[in-house]
Amino acid sequence: MIEVVLNDRLGKKVRVKCNDDDTIGDLKKLVAAQTGTRADKIRIQKWYTIYKDHITLKDCEIHDGMGLELYYN
Amino acid sequence: MANRTDPAAKSIRGTNPQNLVEKILRSKIYQNTYWKEQCFGLTAETLVDKAMELDHLGGTYGGNRKPTPFMCLVMKMLQIQPEKEIVIEFIKNEDYKYVRVLGAFYLRLTGTDVDVYRYLEPLYNDYRKLRRKLADGQFTLTHVDEVIDELLTKDYSCDIALPRVKRRWNLESLGSLEPRRSALEEDFEEEEEKEDNDQPADELEDRAYEKDYYRGRSPTRERERDRRRDSHRHRDRDYDRDYDRDYDRDYERERGRGRDRDRDRDRDRDRERDRDRYRLREEKDYGREREGRERDRRDRDRDRGRRRSRSRSRSRSKDRKDYDGGDYRKRHARSSTSPRRHGDGHEDDEPKKKKEKKEKKEKKDDGTDHPDPEIAEANKLRAALGLKPLKV
Repeated sequence: MIEVVLNDRLGKKVRVKCNDDDTIGDLKKLVAAQTGTRADKIRIQKWYTIYKDHITLKDCEIHDGMGLELYYN
Repeated sequence: MANRTDPAAKSIRGTNPQNLVEKILRSKIYQNTYWKEQCFGLTAETLVDKAMELDHLGGTYGGNRKPTPFMCLVMKMLQIQPEKEIVIEFIKNEDYKYVRVLGAFYLRLTGTDVDVYRYLEPLYNDYRKLRRKLADGQFTLTHVDEVIDELLTKDYSCDIALPRVKRRWNLESLGSLEPRRSALEEDFEEEEEKEDNDQPADELEDRAYEKDYYRGRSPTRERERDRRRDSHRHRDRDYDRDYDRDYDRDYERERGRGRDRDRDRDRDRDRERDRDRYRLREEKDYGREREGRERDRRDRDRDRGRRRSRSRSRSRSKDRKDYDGGDYRKRHARSSTSPRRHGDGHEDDEPKKKKEKKEKKEKKDDGTDHPDPEIAEANKLRAALGLKPLKV
């Protein structure tokens, strides 16, 4: 189980617990449940790398405690 | 300049009509080349030409959420705000299905509740295929009536949040709308009549039934129950579903409709009552209860089949005994609501069932009984979303 932090730099900072074999799409669903936006409106980035929905967190090399950027579509 | 709403346009739902589309999506549309090239300076007439060229509908697609031409035209319509007559012409035209869907979408966004139901429900009869672009850029097949159903029942479509409209039963109870009459109703009635003609009707018993009916016996009582049930239909949706599932078994009086039907010995009486009840229900049925009607159809078919087989079986007395036994038990306040198939001999199974239930509870495999409350809650959320539990 890992915990990632997502920050949109506009006031929304969210800590989400997830498995490392969850996909980015699953992570978006969890974030959507916590923030209240729709899952398909969320974009998760790290600098200019936009993460795709079907890749697992492990393959994205997202580790425990890592901070991700939260953007909106 | 080009993106300003027509100054003569009215405000919709208290705001600039273009604000119906949210900010991020709006900016995406303004930056889109299709918008800049093709949608510049469009009027209502030239918009029709552009709409006729549409060949797919959809929201945004791709990594950077590019809007589809359909979205750009919806935005253009919001910007120029065509007259209601023009929009209705869009909807009424039969030749171009995408123009129809475009008009329907615009009306759903801007029209009043009554208008929405009145003009969009006839489109349920349109079964033509449509091409829809998904978020990943691929096309999928859908149909006009599916899209209309989505517009009327869901509150999000093509990446635009649809404004809330009142429920249909609300409008019916206010009297602003007629109860929904499905186009399939004639097919139902034909089917029923066909079934009736297959089996010979007993006239004497029919007459007796008529007398009973007017005297206000169980059929009317049942009907009132139906009426009551139907008026709270929206709330009792789950109730309905459970009722269907338990249909094949015996069940208690509260779900009396089926029971009364079963208890009734006369096939023909049942069938007539079915027809009448169905008609009554139709009067109170509404657009969204399409599935409910499907369920009813299934109900009736299943019931008819079962009734027919039962009447054919020679051991009718046995069935009656089961009913009476079950009835007796329920009348004497059996607290458990689980359906029972046979009259007696149930006591042996009960303790076994209780044990199984207890075992299941202890070993929940979705991790919601984890000692740490945070993890338990997280697992509950995950289970609700359809994800596997956390690996601790």
